[in-house]
Amino acid sequence: MAAKINNIIRFSSLFTPKHVICQTKITERDELLLEMLRKLALVVGIGDAEDAYQSLLQRENEIPTVVGPGIAMPHVRLSSINRIIVGVATSQAGIKYAPNINQPVKLIIMTLAPKIAPGAYLQAMSSLAKICQYPATADNVARLDNAQKVWEFFDQDGMTLEEHLKASDIMGPVTVKLQEHDTLERAIDLFVRHQIRDVPVIDKDGDLIGVVSTHELLKVCLPDYILWIEDLMPIINFEPFAEILRKESKTWLTEIMTMDYATVIEDAPAAQVAKEFAKQKVDHVYVLREKKLVGVVSLAMFLNKILRE
Amino acid sequence: MLIMLAVSASVGLLTHLLKLNNQQVIASAIFVMIVMATLLFWNFRLAIAFIGIGVLMGTNTLDLPTFIVECKIDVILFLVGMMVTVGVLRDLGLFTWIIQSVIKTPKMTGRLFVIMLIFLSAIMSCIVDEVTSIVFMATLVFQVCDALKISPMPFLIISVMATNVGSSGTMLGNPVGIVIGQNITPPLSFVDFVVWSFPIMIITLTVTMFILLWWYRKEIEHLSERLSERREMGMGLGPLINVPYKTGLAILVGMISFIGLHHWLEIKLGLAPNTVLIVAPLVIAGVLMVFRQERARHYIEADVEWWTLLFFMMLFAVAGSLQHTRVTEEIANHFQNAFGSRPALLMPIIIALSAAGSALVDNVVYVAAFVPVVDKLGQTPLVWALLQGVCLGGNITMIGSTANIVALGMAEKRYRTSIKFFDWLKVGLVVGITSCLVAWGCLMMTSKYMPTKQQRLQTAQSHLKPAAVHDSNTIR
Repeated sequence: MAAKINNIIRFSSLFTPKHVICQTKITERDELLLEMLRKLALVVGIGDAEDAYQSLLQRENEIPTVVGPGIAMPHVRLSSINRIIVGVATSQAGIKYAPNINQPVKLIIMTLAPKIAPGAYLQAMSSLAKICQYPATADNVARLDNAQKVWEFFDQDGMTLEEHLKASDIMGPVTVKLQEHDTLERAIDLFVRHQIRDVPVIDKDGDLIGVVSTHELLKVCLPDYILWIEDLMPIINFEPFAEILRKESKTWLTEIMTMDYATVIEDAPAAQVAKEFAKQKVDHVYVLREKKLVGVVSLAMFLNKILRE
Repeated sequence: MLIMLAVSASVGLLTHLLKLNNQQVIASAIFVMIVMATLLFWNFRLAIAFIGIGVLMGTNTLDLPTFIVECKIDVILFLVGMMVTVGVLRDLGLFTWIIQSVIKTPKMTGRLFVIMLIFLSAIMSCIVDEVTSIVFMATLVFQVCDALKISPMPFLIISVMATNVGSSGTMLGNPVGIVIGQNITPPLSFVDFVVWSFPIMIITLTVTMFILLWWYRKEIEHLSERLSERREMGMGLGPLINVPYKTGLAILVGMISFIGLHHWLEIKLGLAPNTVLIVAPLVIAGVLMVFRQERARHYIEADVEWWTLLFFMMLFAVAGSLQHTRVTEEIANHFQNAFGSRPALLMPIIIALSAAGSALVDNVVYVAAFVPVVDKLGQTPLVWALLQGVCLGGNITMIGSTANIVALGMAEKRYRTSIKFFDWLKVGLVVGITSCLVAWGCLMMTSKYMPTKQQRLQTAQSHLKPAAVHDSNTIR
């Protein structure tokens, strides 16, 4: 069995052919998940399989973990184990995984992680990122007719766990962004429509050049020298805001854009993201590939992924 | 901590070897400990000063009545009154109005902005204290530089240097002004400062302005370019609102007039010198607190820098113990033995020593120790040399004055950037040395017209009613 190579752990070292249910005839998701847990309990010992099942089910019902075409990666954190345990099941017919997901799931990779190992599941998922993106993976694995072959599939080169979780493992896509030629008017529209506090600004090459924040907008409207006045009368009718509104369609974003934001490169350890949150007291850390904006980690997303997922 | 104690102990040992008595040794060691505390443990300076006072009292170097007199409650109350009044002025929008007036100046250029910045910083530090002045001048710099997306550091340095130069103009600007004014025999009046220091300040400020305009010519040019680009887009430098500034302005003018007339009022009322000067800010603060009673507690609790004032009280008491134990007299005697009593020689020495001292330690600390020495030398021009030296010397290093530390702290908090010690030192040395030379030249020219200590004493005595003569002797 392969293990650590230059501090890198092969994904295949997290399970054995005994952990695999190959070409199952079960068609119900919940039944299959319970069966997988019972098998793991029998082979390696995971504590109370029923408790683990309830936790797993609750999580899957909230957010189904379908990570690629026909591939699901259910996971749960257990206090009864002290290392990552993986179980695999394949189904040629496929199973209906969630009401809103039409494509049947043919490959289920279950990850059980120790409760005190933040990000272990994400590391495991990250190692499978390449095969999850490939559309035929689920069909190919489901066609393998014995557990040994399934294990050998995961023993391929490249399916390795990095020593640490990277920023790119925990980032989400940037769904709301502004172009450098946009105006303040568009920024205010986005703030209001999406109820967000920060919007990144990118140039024509997709490079991050700044951030427009609601806080910064408020500071532009009410700079320190206006806040010194104790009497509200001069601003009671929002005079400084009126001035901004008058000019919003002519004001380029670069006029109110701040350079005071947190970034990390995509390969930076996820702990670096935590450091930026704590050090810079920001809500978002932007993830860059060189200068290009490739993702964003919000504080809420970070806490969920590290402490709960 | 070990360095501080070692230096303090070394001074004690040195003074012991110089055959000073035990009390003089202790007073010197404690004073040096406080100087070191301001250099090394800025946040602990008050704690160390409290402990130092305890040591002085425990060793009978300082007794309670002397401590109470030497705390210089007159200076402290003057500063309390000023701080409350400044808090009210900020509330009333006076500073907002001043900043807006600069921001909306038509046809602004980089050069014009810097000239306005220099004169405004200097004049404001003459009128309100230098720390308040630099806080709102730095806000102006940040507003303009943020709007133009340029580095604020050169303009912040320009403003700080003008603030330090300007603070020598009156006794309201820098705490050292009131400390010197109140601790010279006889005390100096506001008018003395206006006549003998303000004109020199204007000359040194003008020279400083030319140096800074040349030194930062590229940055000023860049600011001009960004200004014109922004003007072409029809953008201003910040939002403008209608500030009801007139009440604040009237209070400021009233306060300065009241203080400006203090000498005349004291003569008319037969009061001891500087009685009205000390009481005027308190009276004005009291009146303002009656009218704004809902904010009165805020002014006292938040706008008065109690931490700094308590440190000043302890510092004055420790410096007073140096005087009380005749350490300062010994220094003055050594000074006279070494340099004679010719003002032409003493003046540049005092300017140079004060500038160097002020560049390295807090200028109030330096003045507290050195005022009794200068007073003992008994020559009026040397008093002004001390004032010019400490104010202008504050520009030499980035820790030279409280204004420098406050401004750099603001920039660090806002931009997470700081200036290197030697980057400041380069421009600081040029500005500091040149302005000191100019001040020396001015003092050389004006010193022959200055009244002697004897003449000032006679004038002070002649203005007092008989009942106040006794008080005037106890005011110091």
